[in-house]
Amino acid sequence: MSKTNIEEINRNIYDIKNKDEYDYKIKKGLTKEIIEEISKQKNDPIWMKEFRLKALDVYNSLEMPTWGPDLSELNMDDIATYVRPKTGLSNSWEDVPEDIKNTFDKLGIPEAEKKSLAGVGAQYDSEVVYHSMKEELIKQGVIYTDMETAVRKYPDLVKEHFMKCVPVNDHKFVALHGAVWSGGSFVYVPKGIKVDIPLQSYFRLNSPESGQFEHTLIIVDEGASLHFIEGCSAPKYNKVNLHAGCVELYVKDNAYLRYSTIENWSKNMLNLNTKKAIVGNNAKMEWVSGSFGSKISMLYPMSILNGENAKTEFTGISFAGKGQNLDNGFKVIHNNINTSSIVNAKSISKNGGTCTYRSLVRVNETAKNSKCSVSCESLMLDDISKSDTIPTSDIRTDEVEFSHEAKIGKISDKTIFYLMSRGISEEDAKAMIVRGFAYPISKELPVEYAVEMNNLINLELEGSIG
Amino acid sequence: MILNETPVRTSKNFNINNIELTDFNIPTNIPKFNNVTISDNISITENTTNFKLKYGLGDILENQVKSSSNKKIKINIEKNIAEPILIDFNFNKDNLSLIEDIEICASENKKANIIIKYRYKEDIEYYHNGIIRLNTKPNSNINISIINLLNEQSYNFLSIENILEENSKINYCNVDFGGKNSITNYYSNLKGNNSNNQINCIYLGKQNQFFDLNFIGELYGEKSNIDIEVQGALKDNAKKHFKGTIDFKKGSKKSKGNENEFCMLMSDTSKSIALPMLLCGEEDVEGNHSSAAGKVDNKQLFYIMSRGFNYKEAMKLIVKARFNNILENLRDEKLKNEIIYEIDKRLD
Amino acid sequence: MSNKLLEIEDLCVNAENKEILKGINLTINKGEIHVIMGPNGSGKSTTANAIFNNPLYSKTQGTIRFCDEDITNSKTDEIARKGIFMSFQMPEEIPGVSVTNFLKYAKSKSTGKPVKIFEFKDELKKYMEELNMNSKNMERSLNVGFSGGEKKKNEILQMLVLNPKLAILDETDSGLDVDAIRTVSKGIEMFKNSENGILIITHNTKILSSLKVNYVHILIDGKIVKTGTQELAKEIEENGYSKYKNI
Repeated sequence: MSKTNIEEINRNIYDIKNKDEYDYKIKKGLTKEIIEEISKQKNDPIWMKEFRLKALDVYNSLEMPTWGPDLSELNMDDIATYVRPKTGLSNSWEDVPEDIKNTFDKLGIPEAEKKSLAGVGAQYDSEVVYHSMKEELIKQGVIYTDMETAVRKYPDLVKEHFMKCVPVNDHKFVALHGAVWSGGSFVYVPKGIKVDIPLQSYFRLNSPESGQFEHTLIIVDEGASLHFIEGCSAPKYNKVNLHAGCVELYVKDNAYLRYSTIENWSKNMLNLNTKKAIVGNNAKMEWVSGSFGSKISMLYPMSILNGENAKTEFTGISFAGKGQNLDNGFKVIHNNINTSSIVNAKSISKNGGTCTYRSLVRVNETAKNSKCSVSCESLMLDDISKSDTIPTSDIRTDEVEFSHEAKIGKISDKTIFYLMSRGISEEDAKAMIVRGFAYPISKELPVEYAVEMNNLINLELEGSIG
Repeated sequence: MILNETPVRTSKNFNINNIELTDFNIPTNIPKFNNVTISDNISITENTTNFKLKYGLGDILENQVKSSSNKKIKINIEKNIAEPILIDFNFNKDNLSLIEDIEICASENKKANIIIKYRYKEDIEYYHNGIIRLNTKPNSNINISIINLLNEQSYNFLSIENILEENSKINYCNVDFGGKNSITNYYSNLKGNNSNNQINCIYLGKQNQFFDLNFIGELYGEKSNIDIEVQGALKDNAKKHFKGTIDFKKGSKKSKGNENEFCMLMSDTSKSIALPMLLCGEEDVEGNHSSAAGKVDNKQLFYIMSRGFNYKEAMKLIVKARFNNILENLRDEKLKNEIIYEIDKRLD
Repeated sequence: MSNKLLEIEDLCVNAENKEILKGINLTINKGEIHVIMGPNGSGKSTTANAIFNNPLYSKTQGTIRFCDEDITNSKTDEIARKGIFMSFQMPEEIPGVSVTNFLKYAKSKSTGKPVKIFEFKDELKKYMEELNMNSKNMERSLNVGFSGGEKKKNEILQMLVLNPKLAILDETDSGLDVDAIRTVSKGIEMFKNSENGILIITHNTKILSSLKVNYVHILIDGKIVKTGTQELAKEIEENGYSKYKNI
């Protein structure tokens, strides 16, 4: 209950629909011709065009997942995979068209940039419309740009890393991503450079019956450090929208990366996102994740601890309300000696929502003297919701300390009574307990985002408990 | 042959949803199995009823029991029985394969203690495929111990299905030591209010033994309770899968479920995969699980060795100490000593 | 305005379908300290919980009035906002909610006005010093990881901050060492004035020695069997309850 006196925010902010105006919208469906057309529209180099076509073949050869939420309502024939907004890329908010700028204004993006960010990227539908970074970082050699620019300007860096961390045959939606990807951010932090203030990319999907497939590639070179924030939202439409982004993170030796996400997609979104990090010697990868939106989410960020002493931490919360099925979790592979992982996952289900924590911990033969500790806590706010915990551990060496703990339950009546005896209403008491439950995650976020997260919790709780 | 599926699937890449036995064909043409001793404190018949398991190990094995079992045992517990009811299967060169169909029904308010043992004589390959069904009527209370002491060359398949009615209690103790492959499916349907199921399981793997343990508890009744406690030790190239599912169905208000699994790894080539699931469709419940894996604490080992025990002795001591809490639940001193003797023998 | 704070009339209360209170009468006026003593299971804590209308307890008969207003069936939070406070025997732990934020929020609810943050923090600091509390506790989660003594002091701190008209202290002294009991008594003395009242529920008398108690009530098997002055507490300390058990 760190922020009690925040103003009520208007849910409509997220639901503002702009007219579906665009410069170019590809026809719906997924065929070789469509992929070729996207490639042409995007002016791809040849290697990228070939990459896309190969990915399409892989997509067609892979089966849908045989586990997790039911994805049968997804029909690729109904989805436009590329929508180019009616504007180019700017580095000044002034140049962004009025209605698009208004949207980002209301989401507080330019304001946050002024106050607390070192750089901002903003994507609208399939293309990045704004990108900018503080001058001193540019001087230090930090690169922060949209993915298309990176493909053209830094072909070697991109070729070396693009879809190497997340191979295209990982699963069906990664293959789809490989075929139709567009937009996203590219970050390179050179050796030894510490970026103290976060960079942020915000993804907004406005166009109905379309998909967003942004590709984020971050390389934090040896001894460097970075905090990257990703935000996402979309207005609600009656038909399904699809998000199948891909995030590839390279945390080189002695480097540090924190990747924070506040995901608030609209509740008609299928969020089938893939995120992976490769972590080097003595390096550390931290994930902070708040998942509030989407109709269905299947999101399991993964750390691959390849270096000696590599470390990772995952801190995440999911909040599922009516009609939502959030199947989230974390995966970690220990591949080297003295590696460690700490997982702290929480979920809240209410109003018929389903939360699932699904995870994998694998400690390979090569990962002697590794440590892993996992803690999961689920809160059920009523008896029509569901909460499942499905954690897998796969331990292949004896030199390991592995422990996993999980709890499921409701808010205790005694606790509510205690708070009420201090003059706090039942509704406020429950909200206070829920915010306290989420606090270990919100405290890991920059203040503005912690406030946003608490706002989202308040929104979700409004009128639903009591 | 695909066996022992979990009630809910997770990612195929995690290799835990089911197991696949290759280069194994289930034997046909099963001769009689004669070498079984049953204590005389109970009368048994062969009139087992028809069934369809909710989960079980899979259709092939289930159908084999239905069509060609060579031992049918039906037990009705109609009075309180103080002395343990013992069913002792002894495999030997003349009794190589056992396919048994056991059905136990505990009448209202009745108590009994049942021990089912599987042992062998000659060190050759045996085949066991069994189904044990247990229905506890209101207020009945059954202790049942399943003791698998087969050798490391055999195939051991067992499906268990329990239906617990109001206020009934099943105390289940599973000692799983034998089998090249030992595959167990355990399902409890806690349909009655206040029904209570305690499950204690120990396993001990060596050489190339493989264990696949699949425990499923579904709670329907109010104030029902399930506790799953599993302790194991693996040496050499042994491997185990532990799959535990506690499923709070809607309506199971004020129920509790606990799952606790610990695997002691005694070699760097042993492998432990665990999937302890909690599924929850009811708000007013308490569910907990914990699982852990690791090697023997070196400090503990050093302490014991400083008292004059050699390494092997110290390891045996630590394993037995781990298992002791569970063995206490056997409530039968003679049987407990027999199992301790087996632990010492198998850890030699 | 009448002088009466709390008036309990013929109160009967069940817990888990068992009759615990069997017709309690009690009146507390401004400026008074009352003590309820009694053996375990006599219904002491039930009395406190019933005043606060804890849903686990059901009233089968009787009324409770506070400042001439019937609060028998009011909700717990409304009762609190009218100016009654209860110190819990076993305070709940609330992860993620800091002591400061919790109290700030509770204070704004009880006064109906926003809290001035600097004044509030100063006030909090002052009280914490008086109660020998570590000021680091201000930012810790409410009661999480607090020792038994810290939890009880935290209850007294809440009482001082919320400044109710009537404070009910349910076994606040149990499980505390001598120093902690002294600190708690000090807190109670700081709180006490001629306009408010205190109801202390206890089964030992150490905490009473430094306080000026007006009435002592002996509760046995759900009934007040004897009311007296501080002398009565002394008598109980020496002789126990056996004399009153068969009345």
